[in-house]
Amino acid sequence: MKMRLAFVSALAALATAPAAHAEPTKGGVIDVATVGEPPTLDAMVTSTDLVGMISQHIFETLFTFDKNWNVAPLLAESLPEVSDDGTVYTIKLRQGVVFHDNTQFDATDVVASLDRWMKLAGRGKQIAPTVKQIEAIDPSTIRVTLTRPYAALPALLAFNNSAAIMLPSEKQADPMVEVIGTGPYQLKERKPDQYIQLTRFDKYKPRTEEGSGYAGARIAYLDEIRFVPAPDASTRLEGAVAGQFAYTDSLPVEQMDRLTGSKSEAVLLQNSGWLMMRMNAKQGVLADMKVRKAVQAALSESDMLAAAFGDSKFFAVEGPMYPEGYQWHSDVGVEGNYDVGDADAAKKLLTEAGLTTPTPLRILTSRQYEFHYKMALVAAEYLKLAGFDVKMEVVDWATLTQRIQKPELWDIFITHSPFLAEPALINILSPTTVGWWSTPEIADAMTTLTGTADPAKRIAAFGTVQSLIMEQAPMIKVGNFSALSAKAPGLTGFWPSPWASFWNVSLEK
Amino acid sequence: MIRYILQRLAGMIVVMFLVVTIVFVIVRVTPGDPAAVMLGPDATPQDITDLRARLGLDKSIWVQYFLYIGQLLKGDLGHSIFLNMPVTAALMERAEPTFFLTIFSLAIACVIALPIGIYAAYRRGSFIDQASTFLAMLAASIPSFWLGLILMQFVAVRHNIFPVSGYGGPGASFLDRMYHLTLPALALGLVSSALILRFTRASMLDVLSDDYIRTARAKGLAERRVILKHALKNALIPILTVLGLTAAVLISGAVVTETVFGLPGIGNLVVSAVLRRDYPVIQGALLVIAGLYVLINFAIDMLYLLVDPRVRY
Repeated sequence: MKMRLAFVSALAALATAPAAHAEPTKGGVIDVATVGEPPTLDAMVTSTDLVGMISQHIFETLFTFDKNWNVAPLLAESLPEVSDDGTVYTIKLRQGVVFHDNTQFDATDVVASLDRWMKLAGRGKQIAPTVKQIEAIDPSTIRVTLTRPYAALPALLAFNNSAAIMLPSEKQADPMVEVIGTGPYQLKERKPDQYIQLTRFDKYKPRTEEGSGYAGARIAYLDEIRFVPAPDASTRLEGAVAGQFAYTDSLPVEQMDRLTGSKSEAVLLQNSGWLMMRMNAKQGVLADMKVRKAVQAALSESDMLAAAFGDSKFFAVEGPMYPEGYQWHSDVGVEGNYDVGDADAAKKLLTEAGLTTPTPLRILTSRQYEFHYKMALVAAEYLKLAGFDVKMEVVDWATLTQRIQKPELWDIFITHSPFLAEPALINILSPTTVGWWSTPEIADAMTTLTGTADPAKRIAAFGTVQSLIMEQAPMIKVGNFSALSAKAPGLTGFWPSPWASFWNVSLEK
Repeated sequence: MIRYILQRLAGMIVVMFLVVTIVFVIVRVTPGDPAAVMLGPDATPQDITDLRARLGLDKSIWVQYFLYIGQLLKGDLGHSIFLNMPVTAALMERAEPTFFLTIFSLAIACVIALPIGIYAAYRRGSFIDQASTFLAMLAASIPSFWLGLILMQFVAVRHNIFPVSGYGGPGASFLDRMYHLTLPALALGLVSSALILRFTRASMLDVLSDDYIRTARAKGLAERRVILKHALKNALIPILTVLGLTAAVLISGAVVTETVFGLPGIGNLVVSAVLRRDYPVIQGALLVIAGLYVLINFAIDMLYLLVDPRVRY
């Protein structure tokens, strides 16, 4: 099935069509305004989007995603050969690839890097217990042997955050000392809170396939990319309006009209991500599934989204875990479990759970993301109507990330996520991540989802997973949201995506 | 005199020790955890425990405190968790923009406030005096970041005269950096000038009614000499105090203004460190800021000796 992904339906304002015919030329320096200073450039140790966006120009992984979110080879020569029982992955590596320190990339580097990844990266630790052995067969081949089939492995190796980046085998220090990758750009200078300066790596050897999403040929047309932190959203917006930045990341959607007639064009990435109210299935009132179902019945997601984003072009009231266009899209289990807004049904469920009303409920949220807070306010009112005694705890993001680790401190917290190309990696599906949803049904469904490489079987298995999410309500999927950024009109070849990339991008002369 | 200086130095050491201890405790008891911030909301408790161990945050608060004191005694402010560099180096990098922003802002404030303050006092009750008092009240009531946003909107966005934000890219010249500092310095300088203007006017009014001014005029001295030499010199002590305090506030980081204009200064560093709970940077930066306050106060007290021979310690 040829997929047409909704997320690439960037706004018509992204007038790249005329430029697409122009022959890209080498040269030019661009300033990219980012939401702040990245906590690190080591893309293994964090899943922060900002780190992924910047570091993907420096480091590369064995696999990546094409424009349809299919896994595609990057440093691997091709997709892996998988044994019939699904436990042995043989990966051929590209030859002639050179690190920024001019050393050759080979299987020794891959084995060392994957070892580091399994020790340091959240995603690596997730797979580590399943990995029996990683070995270099020859300088251009590695073999990964698993204890059980795990079909999500190639996707896991393809992410650009918490990423299995390839580093020289002798430069595996933690914390990272030297920033050496194989990417089309290399780090020239980093001045924290001022700029991160990347320059073209002239010895970069692009793949021969045509560029598609993050896959295929990566050609460094620009001489230099400078990532400039501008933590204040108003400053980023004014910089975009004044034409100070070639690309401006993460702008407040409600300010989109300010870009009209300015020196930058709006880039609206629809279905950029999805919002969730994650529930504490381990401790407190929401450990009881009936009470979680009461929360689900009480809420009106459409009102929550309207309060958070205003104009409907900035959000989509959609219950399915993936939007239309993704192979994982399905309506299974959504009907009757999404956007219900039925206070009486919720009260009935509370009574069935043996609880007296008002039932105390703590919603933990932060104003780091204003839309989280606005959504929480509306949710609180709906929950009060349903008989909950809601206590809003509004804290800064650092406090929130700490508190959610302690199940005794919260019942619901609000967060968001991009649409992950591999559904097995959706955070709530792991019983050890915050929320701690662990039932025999979901464990079985996940075993089926990860135990087969057959695409049709996997799609069916994910349908079961989605219906369990709706039936057991470990979280409420609130809906999808759009992301706004801005680009200079002269920036051509730009592909709107959750992690903006600047290879294959050039400046019009 | 020497005895006084030694007493002050001893006092400074005690103050700094208290600052170190109080900041250390406050930072540790504030909710939030650098490991949780670094790993994000999807981290498992085990991930966080592992990272805390790698960062040395799993040790008891007492052990961490004594290790920190030991580091400080060796002149080491620690290592930033997020920047992956020594705190001293991070502070040194941020010192330059903050230092020049302070000097630039103070220069703008003095150029505006001193002549107007002196003239307003000299022509007390005149239109200039009333207008300057009104404008000083207005400027004192405006937050510098708001003024910065307004300047940004009109001067940078509409007319493209100055850049919206930043401190110049790689290889930027000194002049280019000053060019980037102009708008934030104007915002801070205009707001700071209000306080300096009011102190200058009040202080000048005090001395202008003194007997020695009347004597100077009776001797037939030129009015310019009476005002600028006899009156201003004696009015300088409170003005110096307010200048010193303004400088201290600016050096410690015009926090919001630096953030709004994306300046990589000390204020910006402290804000991002607090948001990320980068303990070593928060501790190191606050220690340096407290040290600067103490030193500036000490320097001002010493300057009194030069300005006013009657002052004796």
